[in-house]
Amino acid sequence: MKRFDKGYIYSSLLTDFFYSVVLVFFFLRDLFFNEESSPNTIATATPFFVIGFVVIYLCFVAYRILYYRMSGYELTDKEIKCNRGVLFKKRSILDYKKIHAINKKQGIIHRIFGIAVLTVDSGSANTSHQAEITIIEKNTVVDALLSELNALKKNTIKDDAGEVRREEVLLSNKDSLYRFTSAKKMLYTLINIASTAFFTALFAVLAIIILGVCKAMLQLDFLGTLGQYFLYAILISVGGVLLFSIFSFIGSIIHSFIGYYNFTITQNDNNIQISYGLLEKHTNTFSYDRIKAVKVSQGLVQRILGFASIKLEVIGYTVNSSDDSKNAGLGVLIPFCKYNEIDEILGKVLPDYIPSEKQTKSVSFFPFVSWFLLIFGIIAGVILAGSVTVMAMLSAPSKIISAAVLAISGLALIVIVLKFVSAGLSYHTNGLAIHDGKITTYSGGFTKNITVFKAKNLIAVENVTTPLRKKHGIASIVMHLKTNESSNEVKVHIQKDTLSDEIEKMLTV
Amino acid sequence: MKMNKLDKSVLKLWYIQAAMGALALVGVAVASLVILLVTEAPSSVMLAVFLGVGIPVSLLLCLTLIMPALRHKMYSWGYDDKRIIVKQGVIFRQRVVIPVCQIQDLHRTQGPIMMMLGLSGVTISTAGSNFDISTLTTNEADCLIDALEQNLEARVEELKNEEI
Repeated sequence: MKRFDKGYIYSSLLTDFFYSVVLVFFFLRDLFFNEESSPNTIATATPFFVIGFVVIYLCFVAYRILYYRMSGYELTDKEIKCNRGVLFKKRSILDYKKIHAINKKQGIIHRIFGIAVLTVDSGSANTSHQAEITIIEKNTVVDALLSELNALKKNTIKDDAGEVRREEVLLSNKDSLYRFTSAKKMLYTLINIASTAFFTALFAVLAIIILGVCKAMLQLDFLGTLGQYFLYAILISVGGVLLFSIFSFIGSIIHSFIGYYNFTITQNDNNIQISYGLLEKHTNTFSYDRIKAVKVSQGLVQRILGFASIKLEVIGYTVNSSDDSKNAGLGVLIPFCKYNEIDEILGKVLPDYIPSEKQTKSVSFFPFVSWFLLIFGIIAGVILAGSVTVMAMLSAPSKIISAAVLAISGLALIVIVLKFVSAGLSYHTNGLAIHDGKITTYSGGFTKNITVFKAKNLIAVENVTTPLRKKHGIASIVMHLKTNESSNEVKVHIQKDTLSDEIEKMLTV
Repeated sequence: MKMNKLDKSVLKLWYIQAAMGALALVGVAVASLVILLVTEAPSSVMLAVFLGVGIPVSLLLCLTLIMPALRHKMYSWGYDDKRIIVKQGVIFRQRVVIPVCQIQDLHRTQGPIMMMLGLSGVTISTAGSNFDISTLTTNEADCLIDALEQNLEARVEELKNEEI
């Protein structure tokens, strides 16, 4: 059994160095940062810090060396074997023909030591949190292993036609059909942030209106002390949201420019390979027939400006960022494109998953808001009545009671308006298309989602209705898809209830 | 397809579970009352707490006691050689259809109260979600699992040369 590359020890120990410093600071923080800290106390504490650091770091060194000595991998004629772990030893054997995905990941520290992490996964639901096989090797060895495993997998699964197809680049930065250019990345970042900015501004404006109305109506200096606290709370919230917007803007720029650097999609036989990243390089390979669904998403601003992003759901994949995770970031097929380019792009990459035109639509608007109005009305009414009763019992001044009533009513009105807008968008969006063994669902309110999947990936169908809706032949349809993710449902609301019968037929054919 | 209703002993189980929930609610109400009495709260505060806690607790108590009977009335299940159907829900009525060929595992579970009443829960695991057939008598659960196992074998044979 071949051992991992020694670069694993060096790269891990570099990371562990920082962890050790943080841990020692955490445990000895009182020695450095108490009220009586002086140069003398710091001088006294320093040896403790050094001893603590050495002890913790030595534990890490011992663990890494043991992990290195106890881990390894082997490629046999039929299967790949992998041993890993120190306290809990794990031995995994994966048949080549059962390989579902092969991923390569190279972080910035890995690059310093010229190594990369290769994970091989069977797509089993039982091991959804972790890939079966993890190999840490030199970058060149990982590239060679990636090709070798793809070839071994191909050889074990006999091709019907017996033909060997050459590798074909479907979409890349150089491709004329799809370019994730700097301008596009900037626009993508701006649109990502625009939604947050829009809701921040809306929140701020509404807060000012509510306070203004209260002040004008009651002719008070912001309702005395209570009003001032209310104002401060709103101002702090607005400030917090603005700060969050700035951080997410910076994060979004880094993500789009560095995270999606050199974004390429290639096809090799039945495998799709997605590569991207500058500091942390990812190469995710999976079988075309393991694709569960393609999801086109449009946020509110993207919807207004006619842009969209295309996501991919693959059976057996979960999103995790640890070294031996099955995948880090798989899910994005096309980060950003024009809405009217979707058919063209999917036609080239995944022709079986081009969304069909909507064949059904929501049959009524009122059900989208009926339950909300009932439940929210009861909750708002109880809060309003409760607040007034409690304040009256505590003999609060009538001006304070009036202000509270106004504030609660104003907030309730805003929530109702937002719900009506969202319901209106849902009413126009929700729908379904069944075409040639392929189901396309249209759902969502502020964010529009189009999900395309094959009937073979449908596990169960649920028809949800109420007695009144049943009388009018209305139902919401929930479709359960084949996956090990918790979010494995697609919902289409307020459709004709006969629609679920049609889908049921597809299930049992 | 013949749809089956749940056995009457299931209603007993649900009422036992509801009684436990009701006890917790009564506990909340009693605790609030004791705190008010110990702290010698003014009558106005007592009235406010009575309205704030007493009314929601009473409403929840009524719901807890009514729901088992309604759930029992609305629940039905059935299966044939191709699919399993479960109908449930009082206000939001659900009808779930699970194809037999998608079944991966079948689980029968029993808690202490269920064992006393001779009841079992059945969970159907698929490659996606898990589905529960709420509570059946142990005999019904065994028959269902045996029948589904046979249906699954037959269905797999039938689909051997087809794409599932």
